Amino acid sequence: MKADTVREMLPVIEDCMGDAPPYCHTACPMHTDVKGYVNLIAEGKYKEAIQTIRQKLFLPKSLGRVCAHPCEEHCKRNEVGNAMSIASLKRFAADNYDDEFDWDVTREPDRPEKIAVIGSGPAGAQAALDLRRQGYSVTVYEKHPVVGGMLYVGIPSYRLPREIINAEYSLLHRMGIKIKLATEVGKDIPFQEIVDTYDGVVIAIGAHKGFKLPVNGKDLPGAIQAVDFLREVSLTGTYKGFGKRITVIGGGNVALDSARTAVRLGAEKVHLVCLEKDIKEMFAHDWEVREALEEGVILHNSWGTEAIKGDDKVEQIILKKCIQVFDPKGRFNPAYDEGCQEIVETDMVIFAIGQGVDSDFATSVEVGRGGRFVVDEKTLQTNIRKVFACGDGTGISLMAVEAMAEGRIAAESLHRYLNLKDMRIQRDHERGYRTNLETSIPADDTNPERVNTRKLDIATRMRSFTEVDLGFSEEQAVEEASRCLQCECRLCVKECLMLQEFSPDCPKKYFKDALIAGEVDPVVPYSCNMCGTCTLVCPKDFKLQDAFMNMRKEMVMNNGGKSPMKGHKVIDMHQLLSFSRLFNTSRPARNGTNQPTAPTGGGK
Amino acid sequence: MSTTKRVFFPGCSLPSYNPMAVQKTLVHLQNHLPGTGAILKCCGKPTKALGQIDQFKKRYAGVQSEIDRLDAEEVIVACQSCFLTLSEYSPKQKVRSLWTILPEIGLPEEVRGIGKDSDITFAIHDSCSTRYRPDIHEGIRWIMDELGYKYEEPAHTKMTTLCCGFGGMVLPANPDLAQRIMKNRTSEVQSDYMVTYCAACRMSMMMGGKQSLHILDLVFGGPWTSKTPFPGAGSTVESWKNRRKAKKSIEKVLA
Ligand SMILES: Cc1cc2nc3c(=O)[nH]c(=O)nc-3n(C[C@H](O)[C@H](O)[C@H](O)COP(=O)(O)OP(=O)(O)OC[C@H]3O[C@@H](n4cnc5c(N)ncnc54)[C@H](O)[C@@H]3O)c2cc1C
Ligand code: SF4
Ligand code: SF4
Repeated sequence: MKADTVREMLPVIEDCMGDAPPYCHTACPMHTDVKGYVNLIAEGKYKEAIQTIRQKLFLPKSLGRVCAHPCEEHCKRNEVGNAMSIASLKRFAADNYDDEFDWDVTREPDRPEKIAVIGSGPAGAQAALDLRRQGYSVTVYEKHPVVGGMLYVGIPSYRLPREIINAEYSLLHRMGIKIKLATEVGKDIPFQEIVDTYDGVVIAIGAHKGFKLPVNGKDLPGAIQAVDFLREVSLTGTYKGFGKRITVIGGGNVALDSARTAVRLGAEKVHLVCLEKDIKEMFAHDWEVREALEEGVILHNSWGTEAIKGDDKVEQIILKKCIQVFDPKGRFNPAYDEGCQEIVETDMVIFAIGQGVDSDFATSVEVGRGGRFVVDEKTLQTNIRKVFACGDGTGISLMAVEAMAEGRIAAESLHRYLNLKDMRIQRDHERGYRTNLETSIPADDTNPERVNTRKLDIATRMRSFTEVDLGFSEEQAVEEASRCLQCECRLCVKECLMLQEFSPDCPKKYFKDALIAGEVDPVVPYSCNMCGTCTLVCPKDFKLQDAFMNMRKEMVMNNGGKSPMKGHKVIDMHQLLSFSRLFNTSRPARNGTNQPTAPTGGGK
Repeated sequence: MSTTKRVFFPGCSLPSYNPMAVQKTLVHLQNHLPGTGAILKCCGKPTKALGQIDQFKKRYAGVQSEIDRLDAEEVIVACQSCFLTLSEYSPKQKVRSLWTILPEIGLPEEVRGIGKDSDITFAIHDSCSTRYRPDIHEGIRWIMDELGYKYEEPAHTKMTTLCCGFGGMVLPANPDLAQRIMKNRTSEVQSDYMVTYCAACRMSMMMGGKQSLHILDLVFGGPWTSKTPFPGAGSTVESWKNRRKAKKSIEKVLA
């Protein structure tokens, strides 16, 4: 191909957005084909929808309930305040159409290498699954008597029923992954023994160490950490020494989970105290705060903690007015009006102000602030070459689906490590990223409202740990799925029959393939009408016709000055005649007019 | 000293289709714009479209030498391909479209309102080659209003107009695709009748299943009603005969 031709093609190959994935897809750390399955639901193809979801996610029912869904944040419809309800659609497909007989339990032939995974949360489970699929022998060590990590011992069961976690995790057993429950590394088995016995190790222990504010009274009985509180309730169904009046400190999701759990344990008064001045500024999801308020939680915005008081147990908490959360430079730097205080009578104070990592057992592995493992961000390798760390234990992930992506990255790295492959090449976009797609919401779009799932009535909610969210009915799911804009570019293809025939994916793909092949079928450039519709609709203003024109010129040049298309012999003849004297004439102007006709009302 | 200020350049598809319209247009131009000569020649666009760029340059040099010989400062074209080709390759001349000239000089008095009682609504098909020329689009609507015919704007119109299917010499190369593009264009039009301002477009609309006219058919013929027999495809022999006729009549008008 000649330089002129290639020059016209290159910008298209580089910047055409025809294959750019939609916003939801790239926002998902696991790159779930959201657009694909949402469309399948809209078309009533539920079975295909869950199969599409399962290609990326092994716990669709769980994530359908609790996923913090970055996809919805980035959904095109969110620009106008009505993001697609993607997680709930996933839940609809999974709850009603997932069938464990359809699960993919295939794997590569067994390999001799043995791998240990420490922790069975989403990060550890994903790493274990990916490594097992490659044929490794995988053993998971889990300190708790249950699998799931924070899904089980953090997230309350009214958001995620436990039988769902267990059922979805059964895939690990079916894949032949060995799981040693109630086995704490560092206590029941030394970390060094694991390092010595296994060919590779993945640490995925999450962040389970609660923090307390450094205030007076923080060690009084009744002043506890949220993660400990939630864990005990999750494992035993209750909390020993639970009081009647509860104060939760924090404005994030963990604080909300704690407060709402306290409501369900029968607390008479539940206070939620946070620095942020309103719901919008709080870290927790708006809907979650709203649901908590419905359940009677008393919200104290713009308050910090001065001290906790009590003789031999918590009796009061003294609050002080918060007048600034972040300083003008954007750093977290709360300031208070010390003169403005409030006293809240309380039996318990639950700190929900963040978690650190309990990494003391892994003495040989380098850790940083909050006990977080220090890793190479690209490969997740630690200072010990065969030990990789992933999930919340590194501080890189903050939500379940991110933790899964981290687990996947660690598994890929370990696989490369064991096979002496380059650990760093071809590792773009392994997490959530921004697509290069640019689309606009169609002008005639009516911005239909997001469909909300059904909810359990408030009275029942406050008395039990029954699941609050009841999901979509079929009708609701189809209505919601039909709102999806199916974001893609391909505007040119939609307008042009020629592209539909010869370049149905997008010009990028066609030109790229052509460049690699080094040739094009003449019928393609000679089927371009040169009408410019592609340029008119293309957000990048690509002039595809110029590229096709250059191909034509090159073909003519290689074909003795003639078009390679047989049909064009007619045109040659036509042009020959058109330029012959027989049909040409040119005449100068003549003086005087032929027949006078008056001008009509013209003149613009 | 030359008396030729400008030339009328009807192109080739119009003379092949309706030589009478070429003659009448020339007469009309002459009456209102004294100093108008004429050149009947192809602009070479088909050669260029095939990718025969050297051949095209040679052929266009012939066009330019005729313009220069007549010493014309301005060229009035009736074809949108000519408009683009001449605009690009004759930078010294002022290239104007007949469709913006007519609103300035007016239509012949006797045709004003000729279509006001017609039972036909013509869907306008704009040429894609001049999609970025709103002055041409407006000129065409002005002519339709003057004539009094009712017209329809298709969903894709003016700047967003669709290709008629004839562009880029696709018809001889990929007739099946060209036919589908024609159908695609006509399928979004309500009316059974269409008006174009390019003879090739007219042919395409016809092949797409519509009764179709060139706008000069409306200016220099009619009134057109649903009872009027509409022109068909015309054979190749006929079109070359028409071109001979156009040549003769130009030579007669400017004798
Ligand atoms: C209360 C709460 C609510 C949350 N809500 C949501 C939500 O709604 N949506 C969302 O997306 N994310 C939520 N998250 C965050 C999410 O749960 C975590 O990001 C995710 O679980 C992290 O996964 P992980 O695998 O890294 O760690 P974890 O899930 O914490 O799993 C780590 C596992 O390692 C085990 N372990 C630790 N130390 C050892 C050891 N020494 N030996 C053996 N096993 C060990 C632990 O017992 C645990 O099972 C929430 C977190 C909390 C605390
Ligand atoms: S309109 Fe077509 S050529 Fe332009 S960016 Fe989109 S897919 Fe690519
Ligand atoms: S509208 Fe549909 S395709 Fe577009 S970002 Fe939202 S979910 Fe994805």
